[in-house]
Amino acid sequence: MAPAPRKAMSEPGLWWLCLPAAAVFVVFFVIPVASLFGLSFNKSVAGVISYSNELTFDNFVRIFTRATYYEAILRSIWIAAVVSVTSLAFGYPLAYLIAKTTHPGRNTLLMILVLSSMQLDMVIRLFGLMVLFGDNGLINGFLLYLGLISRPLPLMYNTFGVIVGLVQITLPFMVLSLIGIIKAIHPSLEEAARSLGASRLQAFFSIVLPLSMPGILAGALLVFALSISSYVVPALMGGWKVIVLPIHIYQQIAEVGRWQFGAAIAVVLFVTSVIAVAIYHQAAARTSGGRT
Amino acid sequence: MSDIQLKNLTKSYGTYTAVAGIDLKIGEGEFFSLLGPSGCGKSTTLRMIAGFIRPTSGEIFIGSDEVTALPPEKRDIGIVFQNYAIFPHMSVAENIAFGLKLRKRPKEEVRSKVKAALQQVGLAGYEDRYQRQLSGGEQQRVALARVLVTEPRILLLDEPLSALDKSLREEMKYWIKDLQKRLGITTVYVTHDQDEALTMSDRIGVMQKARVVQVGTPEEIYERPKTLFVTTFIGHSNVIDVTVVSKGPDMMVVLDGRKLPTRGPENLEAGRAAKLVVRPENVLINPDARASVTLSAKVIGESYQGAIVRYRLGIGAQEIIAERQNSIGNERFSPGAEVMIGWDPGMTEVLAT
Repeated sequence: MAPAPRKAMSEPGLWWLCLPAAAVFVVFFVIPVASLFGLSFNKSVAGVISYSNELTFDNFVRIFTRATYYEAILRSIWIAAVVSVTSLAFGYPLAYLIAKTTHPGRNTLLMILVLSSMQLDMVIRLFGLMVLFGDNGLINGFLLYLGLISRPLPLMYNTFGVIVGLVQITLPFMVLSLIGIIKAIHPSLEEAARSLGASRLQAFFSIVLPLSMPGILAGALLVFALSISSYVVPALMGGWKVIVLPIHIYQQIAEVGRWQFGAAIAVVLFVTSVIAVAIYHQAAARTSGGRT
Repeated sequence: MSDIQLKNLTKSYGTYTAVAGIDLKIGEGEFFSLLGPSGCGKSTTLRMIAGFIRPTSGEIFIGSDEVTALPPEKRDIGIVFQNYAIFPHMSVAENIAFGLKLRKRPKEEVRSKVKAALQQVGLAGYEDRYQRQLSGGEQQRVALARVLVTEPRILLLDEPLSALDKSLREEMKYWIKDLQKRLGITTVYVTHDQDEALTMSDRIGVMQKARVVQVGTPEEIYERPKTLFVTTFIGHSNVIDVTVVSKGPDMMVVLDGRKLPTRGPENLEAGRAAKLVVRPENVLINPDARASVTLSAKVIGESYQGAIVRYRLGIGAQEIIAERQNSIGNERFSPGAEVMIGWDPGMTEVLAT
């Protein structure tokens, strides 16, 4: 019986509260990104950033006619999807545990553990992973020492490494999206289900999981968006061998200096991400009965 | 339908004892209330019967089956929570069908039983509504329908009326009691509200500090309280300092220098200080011959309550309360007036301090 949230915008005299954030958003996000996207319709010339009035779709034609680019699109979507599912699989049990831990000390400790992984810079965390995962890293070194393997397992510089890196980075976001939602599910709902004859597992799948859907959807979307746009993780954990769209963008702009073509890839990445999210949202809304 | 037996039921959390060795036998078809202030252990007791809390020691029987170690889903119970716990992602029909589907009943049977259950609670045609479209009273009826449709052996109600507003609470009180009588289902009702317990129950168990201090019919609990806690927790009571003169059924006590007949337990020896308990509605002002005990008193204050008028009266240094029906012809008294007060000794009780 949650009361319908009041719409702040409909409160007379409060609309100006959104002005500071809107200003920051427009000046530092909308204008730069829009101007970059505008560049994508110019002819690609290395080292030139200024606009010309000659509009062309050459850059986009190039992206969709060269396998290296559209394969990167599919790879980006696939990796982001796998990371979302994996992050959910690892994040849900942890979020459930934290949500159900009523002991304040233990609860705080678990929250600190989750948040502490966000305290370090991403690059440092990834270097840590590399120490663990490299060919001469701790895992391979240990297995080689035990004689369980004769040559190092390929843990890094491949898709697997990228996915592990992304899951590691995105897990806290997933957990944080879920905790609040799971906490809001009143324990008496689970108890009511139990008293009506549901086992612990049946109560979880028929009550707790469906009611967690808003958190699952939000967390998965967040993780998907973070993963598909990540440059650092594929660069470090993929060792330039796992080529996703952000890597192409970086190469085109920072290495070749072709801003217009890099911008075109960025547009494609953005549109791809929006379409994927829209499709996902539609599907999710259907499975959860429009309760998102 | 089954009776319920609790044998030396105990629950402790570390050094804190929530429920301390409760022995109770609740008869088949009985409406039994556990009444007490918050933190007295009544909810913990109910949750142990339901199976949500494992007792530290003791045994629970439903009918002839020991259920102490069984999980809630194997106990064949129905419980209605304070917040009703309607599943928000299911329609009313799906909520009620939940228990039947778990029992793998055929679709046709489920549909007809859901319909009959809604009829029974007066919500026919509510099948497709969702929790957010229901009022508190309607949610409660759905919660009851959801429970009753599975034909549980016992019904547990955990403060089911406390979230409703006053007028609806009055209505639901009688409605639940009627339904329970009609079905003849053994019911344990947890409440901190003495009115609910008195009007609805066949018997009441009054709990205080993890223990059941008195079990009895509403009349016994109200008129024959065994402890000062019971008499002050249930209704208002005047608790007057007296000294015991002689013990037993023909007990005499001294109040304000006068010897008064009353009744009390055998263990109060002559000469001891004790408490004389008398309900405000039994204190008569300027009584007629019915009152065999009379005292002079002084009106200290008058408070108008609508149906009744409440007087604060001074007897010596002590103050007592008297309530009078505000009927036509009933005289009113102003503060400062000298009056006679009296009561029937049979309506008083002497309790140890």
